[in-house]
Amino acid sequence: MTIAIEAPAGAMIAGEQAQSRRSPLIAVKDVVKVYPTVAGDAVLALDHVNLDIESGEFVCLVGPSGCGKTTLLRLLAGLDTSDAGTSSLAGKALNGPSPEVGVVFQQANLLPWFTVMQNVLLPLSVGGARKSEQLITQIQALLRVAGLEGFENKYPYELSGGMQQRASIVRALARDPKLLLMDEPFGALDALTRERMNAELQRIWMASGKTVVLITHSIEEAIFLGDRIVVMSPRPGRIVRELKVDLPRPRVSTEMLGNPVHTALAREIRMLLE
Amino acid sequence: MTDIRTESNAMDLIASSSAAAKNRRRNERIRNIGIGFAGFLTLVLVWKLSVNYFNVPSYILPAPEQVVVALWSGLAVPVTSPLGWYLPLWSTMANALAGFLIGALLGLFFGSLMAEFRPVETALMPYAFALQSLPKVAIAPLIVIWCGFGDGSKVAMAALLAFFPMMVNSFAGMRAAEVERIELMKVLSASRLETYRLVKLPSAAPYIFAGLDMGIVYALLGTIVAEFLGAQEGMGVAITKAQAVTDVAGVFAALVVLGVTGILLHLIVRWVERSIVHWADRGKH
Repeated sequence: MTIAIEAPAGAMIAGEQAQSRRSPLIAVKDVVKVYPTVAGDAVLALDHVNLDIESGEFVCLVGPSGCGKTTLLRLLAGLDTSDAGTSSLAGKALNGPSPEVGVVFQQANLLPWFTVMQNVLLPLSVGGARKSEQLITQIQALLRVAGLEGFENKYPYELSGGMQQRASIVRALARDPKLLLMDEPFGALDALTRERMNAELQRIWMASGKTVVLITHSIEEAIFLGDRIVVMSPRPGRIVRELKVDLPRPRVSTEMLGNPVHTALAREIRMLLE
Repeated sequence: MTDIRTESNAMDLIASSSAAAKNRRRNERIRNIGIGFAGFLTLVLVWKLSVNYFNVPSYILPAPEQVVVALWSGLAVPVTSPLGWYLPLWSTMANALAGFLIGALLGLFFGSLMAEFRPVETALMPYAFALQSLPKVAIAPLIVIWCGFGDGSKVAMAALLAFFPMMVNSFAGMRAAEVERIELMKVLSASRLETYRLVKLPSAAPYIFAGLDMGIVYALLGTIVAEFLGAQEGMGVAITKAQAVTDVAGVFAALVVLGVTGILLHLIVRWVERSIVHWADRGKH
């Protein structure tokens, strides 16, 4: 680490925000989401949530279980609609699935009857998408980056859990979307595989320049990956704090331990979650 | 990228352990065949001894060797001989397979409609259950009245019996498709037909094959029942003819032929299933 960062994390926010006052890629304004329950009453899942995400930014959403993180992500994915408020992507109102959005699910969610190649090409063969040479070349490059070269004709059951999840990331990037949404993509993996996947995701993200919104339960993962960490409160889901992560890239997990910025952030998030 | 090498080593390990598992499965299969064969020998022996010991007349229960003789007399003739099993079996099989195809396709069609459209489900489900709980063999006389004594009523009976397991199974299979996979298609703005073709139909494949497995045996049963009610050819007719002259060994031989045919059809369905639905029952993530 050549850059010594001693200032507390909170002090970074003001300065950074001033330079990025263009219109954000995603603008979520006063979004409210209510779910009906089986018993007949309603649960407030999101309570006037406001969130702007800049193009190219890596945002991590953390919060206790049931705080509405997944609800927020489903709204952005177009799988649900909000009950009040607006959300827009690149200036256009979001009210359904968009080809500019790629989604990575908690499970790899590959179709077991297709090979890896058929799975990652799926986004180009449905929903009226066009299969361009350029996109296919790009997918082949992504498979290489994801370490799946030589596994194109294997079936998902022949792959390890980590490889399956990497294939699903490639699939989510197949249409070259502006935005990548990830709902605890590595939750099902063991700690070591997870750390490696984080490093690879960072590499894929740095190479592609996508905007990423990632939900995680792991504070470590959020600090390692995020430019910004959005902390949510227990139900009803509200955003309680946004923290900038001022650590240089590429980040290396072994250098994170004992780093004062990392330690301060981790402590702050932990206190917010309690 | 050292991690990739580690993972391909892991792949080697997986390959070798799956080879060991394959070996284990083969040994198990050999043992199972052995057990089956021993059971069969015991059955024949008990049968033979009790026929001798209790002095059972052959028009009640023939001895095993008499059945073998009857079986052989139908096998050791030219394929076109009217005395052989070949002609009646061919007739029965052709009608059963035609009915099976019709019934299975209709079952898949209506099962899909019901799974896809709630109103269709609401409208058809009561009739489906009513017809399902009716002993369909009892409808056979009606079918013969409508379709005559020819092949028409045999095909219709086979189709009727093959229809229900296919309809119920494809309906259940499509409803059991995983929500995450359907949401994936939704995120990709896939059309209803694309979701049906690429997710729901493959998801239902294991159920559909279970339906086909039942359906093919039912189709054979349906054809035989229609033949009993007065046809000119087929295994059902062969059984009726043998029964008319109390050739009980002949009846037994015909039953053996039908049993073996049923087992072979079942094995063919299972074989096709294994090559198409090879991904089922493997660890899913």
